[in-house]
Amino acid sequence: MLLEPQKRISERALPVWRITGAIYSIFMLLLCGGTTGLTLIFDWPIWIIAVAALVLIIFVYLMIFLLPTLRWRRWRYEVREQEIELQQGILITRRTLVPMIRVQHVDTVQGPLLRKYNLATVTVSTAATVHEIPALELDEAEELRVFISKLARVADEDV
Amino acid sequence: MFEPKRLHPITAMLNVLKMFKELIIPFLLIGVFGSRGSGMGWLPLIGVGVVLLIIIASGIISWLRYTYRIEENELRIEYGLFVRKKRYIPFERIQSLDFSEGLLHRPFGLVKVKVETAGSNGLEAEAVLTAITKSEANEIQDILQKSRANGRTDLSLEAEDAPELEEEILYRITMKELLLLASTSGGVGVVISAVFAFIFQFEEIIPYETVFHEIEEIISSGVVFVSILVFLGFVFAWIVAVVGMILKYGNFILKKVDNDLIVTRGLLEKRQLTIPLNRIQGIRISENWLRQPLGYASVYIESAGGSVGDTEGSSANILPFIKKASIRDIIEENIPGYIVSNEIAPAPRRALKRYIIRGTLILIPVVPICLYFFQLWGLLTLVLLPFLALWGYLCYRDAGWHKEGNQLKLSYRSIVKNTVLMQRNKIQSLSMKESYFQRKSDLATINATVMSGLSGAGGSVVDLEEEDVLAIYHWYSRDGKSAG
Repeated sequence: MLLEPQKRISERALPVWRITGAIYSIFMLLLCGGTTGLTLIFDWPIWIIAVAALVLIIFVYLMIFLLPTLRWRRWRYEVREQEIELQQGILITRRTLVPMIRVQHVDTVQGPLLRKYNLATVTVSTAATVHEIPALELDEAEELRVFISKLARVADEDV
Repeated sequence: MFEPKRLHPITAMLNVLKMFKELIIPFLLIGVFGSRGSGMGWLPLIGVGVVLLIIIASGIISWLRYTYRIEENELRIEYGLFVRKKRYIPFERIQSLDFSEGLLHRPFGLVKVKVETAGSNGLEAEAVLTAITKSEANEIQDILQKSRANGRTDLSLEAEDAPELEEEILYRITMKELLLLASTSGGVGVVISAVFAFIFQFEEIIPYETVFHEIEEIISSGVVFVSILVFLGFVFAWIVAVVGMILKYGNFILKKVDNDLIVTRGLLEKRQLTIPLNRIQGIRISENWLRQPLGYASVYIESAGGSVGDTEGSSANILPFIKKASIRDIIEENIPGYIVSNEIAPAPRRALKRYIIRGTLILIPVVPICLYFFQLWGLLTLVLLPFLALWGYLCYRDAGWHKEGNQLKLSYRSIVKNTVLMQRNKIQSLSMKESYFQRKSDLATINATVMSGLSGAGGSVVDLEEEDVLAIYHWYSRDGKSAG
């Protein structure tokens, strides 16, 4: 069996993902609320409300509690001399290798939520693919970006 | 060749036609929606007329403004309708000149010249000379070659006449192959869906309800009649597709000139593609279900840049129809580093069950929907079950991988069987995937991406032996620390 990549992403990713989940839940709430309202107005069978409530509860549980935890637990990364290795996925584990010489540029991205928690996402682009390491500590993300771009500069094989 | 020259006047017409093509859908919409309702129906028509005039005028003016000249080892182009633009392209940066001839070019002996540079990324040529005479085009090419030869041999003065470039024809399509190619292509489906799309565009005009009413009567008058009608429709679509393919791939020739592969094809419209050997990112051998039993396949090249991009994505079809057995010689002798062999490690036996289940899974949402709409008739969809299972089995049979030296071969089927050859140092990224169920039966999915034009292409094989996938993963890993 392969050794997992060693480094984890910041633990503060959890609240960020939970808040994002909560925002999605609001849309779901509106949808289910709307269905309930319509059911009451048009005298549709009452079980529709029950189903709507159930869907809402499951959705909230998944988006705010279960999925962020699973996602965080799975997320690993490692940046080595010659390559970057990522591991992610909830039901399906995906592991990706990106050689340094294939890296074309590295960005750090920070949305309002990430900024509040002093986190940043690093994206690594090759000529054909884009890879993302979400929610790293800001310092770490900056460091990583500089580190990767320094190593990537050694590249001299053509495309 | 030093004084500024205009393109052939036919360019003005081509400009107008091109702009008109982009506007034809809005025009049709105006025609359909604008003419109903209030008595102001003529207003949109005037608008259309004005727009047409503007298009024609701007087409002519932009032809007048466009000039090109060759000066100081540069191709200098000046153009622009309102803003005058100048583009100077140094000869060293020009990778290839591609000539193509459209329908309007041929009667006048004209060609369209695309200037490709290393920087133009496959989507758009650096510069396009829409229509110049063949002799002018050849003159440009000669000057270009001479200056390049001068650059190479540097100060040697005898480079007066450009050295003849080595030219070798690798493949020329025969009549029999062309006919087989056309009749086994998947183009039929495209034609049928295009016809449908076209019909539904005019939903507003055609009184479908009355038509359907009549159809009902026809149906009641006999199933046989309807089936004959449908059958004739298919035959017609097939013939259209066959003719289209013959026009597209007629006179197909693959040449190797210096370090480039050059494809020319087309009966009515002649097109030319140049693929520099050092820009090749991967090779794909593709066999559709009609050609596979005949032992034929087509070969595509994934290329980074060059002139491949504009018409058919970034894969260039270099051998449209060829006996599988002859692919090896052509590829191995002309494209360095690639190995074509039949060796393959298949997916393990226990993956078969998963392949068949995955194939038939599509029915799960389909059956209830059909049951809902057609009541018991919906159960007829179950007839599809054995076919889907067969498809799953075929996908299983064609899945496999092989690595040899620096090359990874992945073979898989979606509808068409694809075999992708990739070199380790051209693979942009590689990933392996394992779902919960895959892990339980020690299976995994491998996915490799190479660059193709602006985006990626590559291969993905599902449910291989986990150990094999790990072996590929290690083979690709440069630090090798991930070994456990």
